Amino acid sequence: MIAGPVLLLGLLFVGAVAVYVLRRVEALAAVIAASLSALIAVGLWQLPLDAPAVLAGRPVDMGRAFVSGGASLQITAASQAVLVFLFAMAAATFVLAWKTFQGRTFYPFGLVLLALWSIVVLLQPLTLTPFAVVLASVLSVFVIQAGRPGDTQGAWRQLLFPTLAAPFFTIAVWYINQAALNVDDQAPLRTAAWLLIGGFVLLLQPAPLHVALPAVARQAPPVVAAFLWAGGQAVTLYLLQRFLVTYPWLSEVIDSARWLLWLGILTALLGGALTATQSRLGRLTGYAALYDYGILIVALGLRGTAGLPTAIWLLITRTISLMTMATGAAALRHYMASDSFDHLRGAASRLPAAAIALLAGGFGLAGLPLTPQLASRWALLQLVGENDVRWAWLLIAGALGVVIGVVRAGQACLGELRFSRVEREPASLTVLAMLLVLIGVILGLFPQLLTDPVASVILPLSVLEP
Amino acid sequence: MSLTDLFRQLSLLIGAPAVFLAGAGAVLIVVPRDWRAVLFGYALVNVMLSLLLSQVIPTEWALQQAIAVGLVAVMLFLSARQLRHPAASLAGSAWPRMTSLSPFRLLAVGLAGITYAVVRDSITFPLISELFRDAVLWLCLIAALGLALHQEPLHAGLSLLTFVGAVQLIIFSLFQERMLVGIFQGGQVLLGLAIAYLVVAHGLAGPAAAGAGGESLAIPEEGGPA
Repeated sequence: MIAGPVLLLGLLFVGAVAVYVLRRVEALAAVIAASLSALIAVGLWQLPLDAPAVLAGRPVDMGRAFVSGGASLQITAASQAVLVFLFAMAAATFVLAWKTFQGRTFYPFGLVLLALWSIVVLLQPLTLTPFAVVLASVLSVFVIQAGRPGDTQGAWRQLLFPTLAAPFFTIAVWYINQAALNVDDQAPLRTAAWLLIGGFVLLLQPAPLHVALPAVARQAPPVVAAFLWAGGQAVTLYLLQRFLVTYPWLSEVIDSARWLLWLGILTALLGGALTATQSRLGRLTGYAALYDYGILIVALGLRGTAGLPTAIWLLITRTISLMTMATGAAALRHYMASDSFDHLRGAASRLPAAAIALLAGGFGLAGLPLTPQLASRWALLQLVGENDVRWAWLLIAGALGVVIGVVRAGQACLGELRFSRVEREPASLTVLAMLLVLIGVILGLFPQLLTDPVASVILPLSVLEP
Repeated sequence: MSLTDLFRQLSLLIGAPAVFLAGAGAVLIVVPRDWRAVLFGYALVNVMLSLLLSQVIPTEWALQQAIAVGLVAVMLFLSARQLRHPAASLAGSAWPRMTSLSPFRLLAVGLAGITYAVVRDSITFPLISELFRDAVLWLCLIAALGLALHQEPLHAGLSLLTFVGAVQLIIFSLFQERMLVGIFQGGQVLLGLAIAYLVVAHGLAGPAAAGAGGESLAIPEEGGPA
């Protein structure tokens, strides 16, 4: 009987090797990587966890744990949902990366990154998971740098904070063990809680530790950066949720919800303000994503009956907006040879779909009408307003900053073309970009389409197994 | 007396000198510009850390630690040799490019020393000897200083690895688990690989393309040949 995690990781590593060998035939590598990711997403969605299934004549038990050396990997109902999200997102990203020229090494490394994120999601004991996050960040270095000599800040900062965070979790384990020896003494639990909070602040990297995000945005290919943000941040927030459910005293010893709320608001406000002042597409995308990330942290900080569904809803809709904006930015950066606003003049006439995708994605991250984020943002603002209406106004102020930044980028794309040799965007890119915009508009008009997927995830997430 | 016993007794005998040497090695990572001095400092720190670790974990595991960081040092040495070759560096841009002057970094280390002297007695770690506490505190301070002062991947990366090495003194005093030792050693090798890659990527670029590293050209004293 093959255990689910073994099949999952085996497929990913074999796929990564095959794609690495074929990386020079980029179309083939992209198709294989996207197909494998889509296949795994569908398989995880369809195959039952509580009963064996037969795949290619062999029995497979998706819910069976793989145990080795005191650690185990097991697919649970909650992790299944997260994995389906990750692999579906990855399948779309591989196709987008192929059409927006993100570098051919992304496909094999992307598959290995998915394997490492899967390990983070499935691994027990929980306290070992930060080491898998560090491994993922080590691998991200190669994806961000993508073989280019030059600026290494983005890759370095991506590596730095998770490495600093990992020891906090290990030392916290010792204090947790000590607390079990004397249940009347709360001091070890308090120290463990502070260590875990410190570790999570370094892993989550909210403002003012957000420095990796704009640096990655500047340095990495935009679609790759969006992949790292959407996947990495989702995995880290899921890890936080696992810790909060597994160690309920964490919320009792320290008011973690309030900490998350404040950090989220600060991140969103700073992200919004800085988006308004950018003059390069990469950093514009980075700071808009930072604003959106702040919103997600706020949603997780609200917790309770409404906070968690809103966070899941936001996670799905933000991914669509991020990918849309990144596709536009990647195409503009590639065809206009620079992402500086000064060099974008006339881009709208040659690359209309890319410019529309940039605007639609940017407005989506701001939460404007006719974008997928409108309904989820509105729900969040109502929840925040119930706590303190001033916080809701701060979030709206941040959104205004994002809108200003995106409008400035849109204006930069107008006018007459400065360089006549700019190619027109290929039809396939136009179709992909417009498809993303269309999906966003449809979800903006009919947000109830996401009700069932969100509802199916809420219960398993709120009762995570230790 | 077996070799293991000899090694352990030696590590007990040279406990305090090992901490002094590790501290001096850490300063060598942060202050000098020359990559050979920096790598020597890294090697010194880790040989001493391996000696100290043999007091809390089996000697074989401590030796493995020395081998793991030796691999990292070799990777970084090969990367650095590639960059110091005249064909690899562009005209007028010597490697490594620094964002601060050596006297400034020395002054910062001096200030870190004062901070260390002030806070030393007020910090305690459970189950950690005073000797280890002093080593951890100094190495973490210097590593933090290195991370704050350097954007160049060689210096910053070695500062990060120094932090990881220092933290091992605490973690292996609390846990003597083979899996944890393996995770830390494997993790250091992978970190070293990523840092070596970034060192080459940063060093092969011209001063203008190297991001913040290029700003150092305004500092003539640091721009001389390596």
